[in-house]
Amino acid sequence: MIVLAKLLKALHSDAGPWSLAFGIMLGMIFGLTPLIKFHNLIILFVVLVFRVNLSTFLLSWGVFSVIALMLDPLMMNIGEAILTSQSLQGSFTAFYNTGLGRISQFYNTLTMGSLAVSLVLAPVVLLLSKVLVIKYRIHIMEWVDQWNIVQLIKGSKVYQIYQGMGE
Amino acid sequence: MQKIIRWPGLVGFVAIVGLIAAVLILFLDTWIKLAATNGLEQATGAEVNIASVSHTFSPFGVTFNQVQLTDPKKPTHNQAQANIITAQIELAPLFLNKIIVDQLTIDGVAFSQLRESEGKVYRKPGLESKLEQALDPKNLPSVDEIIARTPLKTTKAIQDAQSAYERHSESLKAQYETLPNKAKLEEYKTRIKALTETDYKNPVELAAAKKEFEQLRESLKKDKLAIETFKQSASEARDDLSPKLAALRSAPGQDYDQIQGLIAGDQAAIKDVTRMVLGDKAAVWSDYLLSAYKIAAPLMTGDKKSEAAREEGQWIAFSDDVSLPDIWIKNADISLRWQQEDIASSWQDITHQHEKIGKPTTFKIDSSASALWQSLKVDGNFSILDSGIEAIQSWDLKGVKLNELALINEQKLSTSITSALLASSGQLGIKQGQMDGTGAIDFSQLVMQASGTNNFTKIVAETLNNLNALKINTQLAGSIEDPKLSFSSDLDKRLAQSVVANLTGDQQSKLKSLKQKLDSQVQSVLGEKNAQLSQWINWQDLAEGDLGSVEDMLSAQFNDVLDDKKDKLKDKLKDKLKDKLFGN
Repeated sequence: MIVLAKLLKALHSDAGPWSLAFGIMLGMIFGLTPLIKFHNLIILFVVLVFRVNLSTFLLSWGVFSVIALMLDPLMMNIGEAILTSQSLQGSFTAFYNTGLGRISQFYNTLTMGSLAVSLVLAPVVLLLSKVLVIKYRIHIMEWVDQWNIVQLIKGSKVYQIYQGMGE
Repeated sequence: MQKIIRWPGLVGFVAIVGLIAAVLILFLDTWIKLAATNGLEQATGAEVNIASVSHTFSPFGVTFNQVQLTDPKKPTHNQAQANIITAQIELAPLFLNKIIVDQLTIDGVAFSQLRESEGKVYRKPGLESKLEQALDPKNLPSVDEIIARTPLKTTKAIQDAQSAYERHSESLKAQYETLPNKAKLEEYKTRIKALTETDYKNPVELAAAKKEFEQLRESLKKDKLAIETFKQSASEARDDLSPKLAALRSAPGQDYDQIQGLIAGDQAAIKDVTRMVLGDKAAVWSDYLLSAYKIAAPLMTGDKKSEAAREEGQWIAFSDDVSLPDIWIKNADISLRWQQEDIASSWQDITHQHEKIGKPTTFKIDSSASALWQSLKVDGNFSILDSGIEAIQSWDLKGVKLNELALINEQKLSTSITSALLASSGQLGIKQGQMDGTGAIDFSQLVMQASGTNNFTKIVAETLNNLNALKINTQLAGSIEDPKLSFSSDLDKRLAQSVVANLTGDQQSKLKSLKQKLDSQVQSVLGEKNAQLSQWINWQDLAEGDLGSVEDMLSAQFNDVLDDKKDKLKDKLKDKLKDKLFGN
C-alpha cells in the first residue's frame, strides 16, 4: 500500500520527469549490486543530496533487488569474464593496489558483474523511465485517477499521512 | 544550485553515515565476539565462551579475554582455554577475506580444566570409553567360550603331523618295495665271485664272461640309484615329520598357558592393562602430543558458510597477494599454563595452506628447570599439503615431579599416582596424514594408590600398589583425526601372573580337564607317529647298508681280473704254438 501510494504521489506530483527517471535508474543500480559496497554509498549521497525522487528510488531498489536474485549467476559470470580479461589486467592491478580499489571491492566477480550490467543498463533505463513518465502523465494519469481503487488509495489514511509528510 | 541540491538530504546523508559508523564502532567488539564464538563452535562442535573482546585501530588488533572451548567428549571440562589472546592483523588483506596475523600472543593456555558449568555439545563425538566394560568380570568370557574361540595349537599340530606323514608314507613304501632284497644282493655276490674265480679255457668263454659282467654291473647301477633315491626321500620325510612331532609334544603346554592367561582376564583386557591403569590421562597425554596439529588445523579449515540471500561471488586478486593463504599467523607466542607453571612456546608461519607460503609451520618449546621438571624440549614442524599432513616432532622431558595425580576414578577401580618422577622422550612423524611414532614413558620412585571392588580389580589394585617403577613404551599410529595410541609394559605380564595365581576353583578344574584332554589327544597321535617315524628310520638304515654292499660289488675290478685271465690265456696259447712249431 505504502509503495503504491508513494508511486502514485510521485507520478501525480509536480516532480520533474528527470527527477523520477534518475530515481528509477539509481534504484536499479542500488538493487542490482550487492548492498554493502562503497559505490552504493556514493549513490546514496547522490540520491539524498541531489533532487532525485526518493519514492521512485525506493520502489526501483525493491523491484531490482528481487530481479538481482535471478540475475546473480549471470552477473557473476560477466564479472569473472571482465576481471580475467587479459587486456584489462594492467589497469585492474594498478587500481587494486590503491586504497580506493581495495575499499571498492571491484575484484569481486558479483560486484564487478552487477555494476557493469547496471551501468550498461543505466542510460537505457534513465531515458526509458523519463519517456514513460511523460507518456503516463499525458495519456494515462487522468484515466487512472478515475479508478475506484485509486480513489480508495487517495482517500486512505496512509496516503493522507504520506501526502502530509511530503509537504 | 538551489534547484539541484537538497540541503536537508545532505544532512540526512551525514546523519545516516554517522549513524552507521557509530553503530559499527559501538558494536564492533560484540560482532567480533559473536563471529569468533560462532566460528569456534562450528569448528569444535561444542560451546565456546569468550568473556570480552576489545580492538585497536592502529595497528589493527583484537584482544580476546578468557576464551574457553568446551570438550565435546567431556562437557564438564574445557578442551582448551586461554586467559588472553591478542592478534595484530594486517588490514589490507582483510578486504580480500584473508586473515594475515603479524603477531599472535596467547597467554595462560590450559587443557582439560574443569568448567564452572557444563558446556553445551552441538556435535556428539562417537568415541565412548570401554573402560567400564573391561573392568567388569561379567564381561570376561567363560572357560568354555575361551576354549571354543581360541585356535588351539594342539589341534593344528596333530593336523600338521598327520598330513606330513600322509604326504610321505605312500611314496616311501612304494620306493622301499622296489629296492633289492637280501636274496638279490646275495645272488649278485655269488655271480660276481663265480665270474672272477672261473679259469677260462678259451677266448670265447672269456668274452661271454665279460658280457655277463657288464649286464650285472648295469643291474647294480640301477639298484644303487633306487637305493640312493629312497635314502633321499626317507631323509626328507624324516626332516619334515620330526619338527612337527616336536611341536606336537610342546603344543598342549603352550595351549594351557595361553588359555590360562585368557581366563585370567580376557586377552584384550590384559593387553590393554597399561592404558587401563593410565585411564583418561592416556587420552589427555595423546592430546598434548597432537595438540600442535589439533589446535592449528581444524580452527583454520572451518566452513565458510554464507547465510546471505544473495550469492557472494569470487574474490580475484591482482597483485602479489595472490600467494597469500586464507589464514597466516606469522609469529605466535603461546604460553601454556600447567600446574602453576608457564610453558612458553614459539610458533612461526601457522597456516593450513603451506604450499602457498612454501614453508612449514614450526614450533619450539625449550623450558629449563622449573618447580615441576628438570628440562622440557619439544620441537617440530608440520605442513598441511594437498597430499595430507607432513610433520616431524620430537620431545625430551626429564624429571617431571608428579604428585597426587588421579588416573582412574571408576566405581570398580580407582588409581592414582601418589608420587613419581616421570621422564619421556620420543619422536613422531606424519606422512600423508598417517602417523608413525614411538615414545618411552619412564616412571621412577613410583608410589601408587589403587583400590578395586571385585576380584579382578582387587588383584589389579594390589599389583599396582606394589609397583615402584614402570616403563611404558608407546606406539602412535593411525590418522590425525583418529590416532591409535598403544601402550605396552611389563605390567601386562605381571598382572596376568597375579590374576592366574588367583583363579577360582571352578576355573582351575576346567583348566585341568582341558589339559588332560589335550595330553591324551597328543599322546595317542605321538605314539602312532613315532612308531611310523621309527620304521622310516629303520628302512633308511637298511638302505644305507644295502648301498654299501652294492658299492663294494660295483668297485670289484673285474676288468683287471679279466685282463689277467686274458694274458694267462695268451701265454698258454703261445706255448702251445711254440710246441707245435719247434717240436719240443
